[in-house]
Amino acid sequence: MKHATLIKMAALSAVAVAAMAMTAFADPYNVCYIVNGNLGDKSFFDSAESGLEQLENDGRISLNTIELGGTAQDQPKWLETLYEVSDSMEYDLIVCGTYQMPDYLKEVAEQYPDQKYLIFDDDTYAGEDANVVNIVYKQNDLGYIVGTFAACMTQDTNVERINEDKVIGFVGGYDSPVINDFMDGYISGAQAVDPDTKVDVRYTSDYVDTAKAKEYGISMVNDSKCDIIWGVAGNAGNGAAEAVLETDGGWFIGVDSDQELTLSEDLAAICLTSGLKNVGNSLVWFFDQWDAGEDLFGTKVSLGITEGGVGIVTDKNFDKYASDETKAAVQAAIDGVASGEIVVPSAFDEGGNEAAQALRDSVRP
Amino acid sequence: MNIFTADFFFSIIRIATPILFATLAAVIGEKGGVSNIGLEGIMMMSALFGSLGAYWTKSWLIGLLLAMAVGLLESLVMGFFAFNLKTNIILTGTAINMIGSGGCLFLVKVITGQASTTALITKSLQIPSISIPLIRDIPYIGKIISGHSVLTYIAFLLVWLTIVLLYKTPLGLNIRSVGENPNAASSVGVSVLKIQYITIGIGGILAGMGGAFMSMYYAMGWSQDMVAGRGFIALAAQSMGGGEPVGSMLAALIFGFASALGIKISATGVDSNLVAPIPYIVTIIALVIFALNEKRKEKQRHSSAALQK
Repeated sequence: MKHATLIKMAALSAVAVAAMAMTAFADPYNVCYIVNGNLGDKSFFDSAESGLEQLENDGRISLNTIELGGTAQDQPKWLETLYEVSDSMEYDLIVCGTYQMPDYLKEVAEQYPDQKYLIFDDDTYAGEDANVVNIVYKQNDLGYIVGTFAACMTQDTNVERINEDKVIGFVGGYDSPVINDFMDGYISGAQAVDPDTKVDVRYTSDYVDTAKAKEYGISMVNDSKCDIIWGVAGNAGNGAAEAVLETDGGWFIGVDSDQELTLSEDLAAICLTSGLKNVGNSLVWFFDQWDAGEDLFGTKVSLGITEGGVGIVTDKNFDKYASDETKAAVQAAIDGVASGEIVVPSAFDEGGNEAAQALRDSVRP
Repeated sequence: MNIFTADFFFSIIRIATPILFATLAAVIGEKGGVSNIGLEGIMMMSALFGSLGAYWTKSWLIGLLLAMAVGLLESLVMGFFAFNLKTNIILTGTAINMIGSGGCLFLVKVITGQASTTALITKSLQIPSISIPLIRDIPYIGKIISGHSVLTYIAFLLVWLTIVLLYKTPLGLNIRSVGENPNAASSVGVSVLKIQYITIGIGGILAGMGGAFMSMYYAMGWSQDMVAGRGFIALAAQSMGGGEPVGSMLAALIFGFASALGIKISATGVDSNLVAPIPYIVTIIALVIFALNEKRKEKQRHSSAALQK
């Protein structure tokens, strides 16, 4: 009898332990994602959302996404909402991103030291607050791979619309460290393939004016004989694709997401590949680390090829138009960057932005 | 590098076209005493509906007409608030501009499920370009004048039509009289309200065409905030041109010239932060020159009046 009770108790406690384990597993992180813009951008915000949704579907988090809009009139709401969600104490983690948020986040994070925050694609105040983790992407590594690809393609005159001149183009948003980090890698990658490759770099000083970017693109094709242009200027960057299409001047490379899938038919047809910044993957990666017990708060994490933070599209048009040599060169670049054999300069290094600008001036057509 | 290529002058005309539409809207508006600062927002909304219309009906012409209709509708709504409900027209215009940015985004999401950019227009739905026989064969000049979009030629034709409207028709006389002195116009039996609606309505249609140019020719499809201040530049061009159609057209062309120059200069590696403000600096300088000129004329008028006394 006594024996039976003991067994019963043991069984009960086993069930209890199991139940506790179950609750621990079934009690996911409560995450709030604050979008300081709108979903549907086919870029950062969507990418982050898809990563978080994946986590939610896997039962690892429960998600509340708040879209706040991105115009000047919406900006006051960003700070207000950060305060509100922090004050609610409901969330294990509050996620936000982009260069527009760090000041607001810093203010709020310091008021709520027990609340954890994650900000992606910004490192303005990295390491200053113990409850904030900054996730940034090695866009210089990404640039290097795209640059390698572009330099190989501009030499391959067997491909339609590729001219004799070894000139490739880059349309950036602003002459700023984050854009120049892309450019730095792009030029370095292209130069590694052939030091004679020239790179025409223009900045639209704008992320929305597609027409202006198109004018720049037309000038790059007509005046500099660019046959491949990488657009790194938000929505405006698509103007470069339109310029290439209108002048019949060659090819376009997209950025952030696979633009071949999102551009209209005619533009998608001239989009060779896209350099990816996988915000979604990086968030999944972060939760993997968190679950594994690694405390990354208070630090800056730079994600590159190995972690899936950045990448390049290698199917569709890439597969169709790139020669075997080009594919091999791109793969070699990916491997080299991943293994650390190839060290790509960064505009975020000390004096890196100035070095990037000097590099840009040295390869002008 | 040779800056003054045919390509360069061609791009001036292309850059000036959307601004010219809005400028003519501003010219007619100011003549009728209606300060339409909502042109930017109207262009954005028309840009959206122009591309949607073309996509739905597979016809650029219907898209263009829809853009014009939306421009008209939006300007009439603005008129209703400003003229009937007596709201401040500047504030109403500002509201229209906000709708142009946020409202478009909302509508895109509701209508298409996409956001911030629509990739709906294909090459066959773009407003076509025209290669003009004979003229296109003239060396150099042909390359500048021929090959523009249909709307570009319409824009320059509209400059002439605006002159005819304002100075050769009874409606134009009414518009100008309402603009000069609504009380006097009203006392001779002109319906001020009706004329104001017509004035703002014409402006809406013109801005609608400018919007269509942006999303159906310049770019393939709408993206958020794509008008990027052209509606405001038009207001500057209007005042720079002294409120007259031809002068304002020249002002729009000056802005086009400055923009095209900036793009050519950027090829030489000049700091982009210096290149970006070129169009605006040129605009400000031109405004100052215009203001000084006006002041001088004013002075002359005063002194000649004094002499006559």
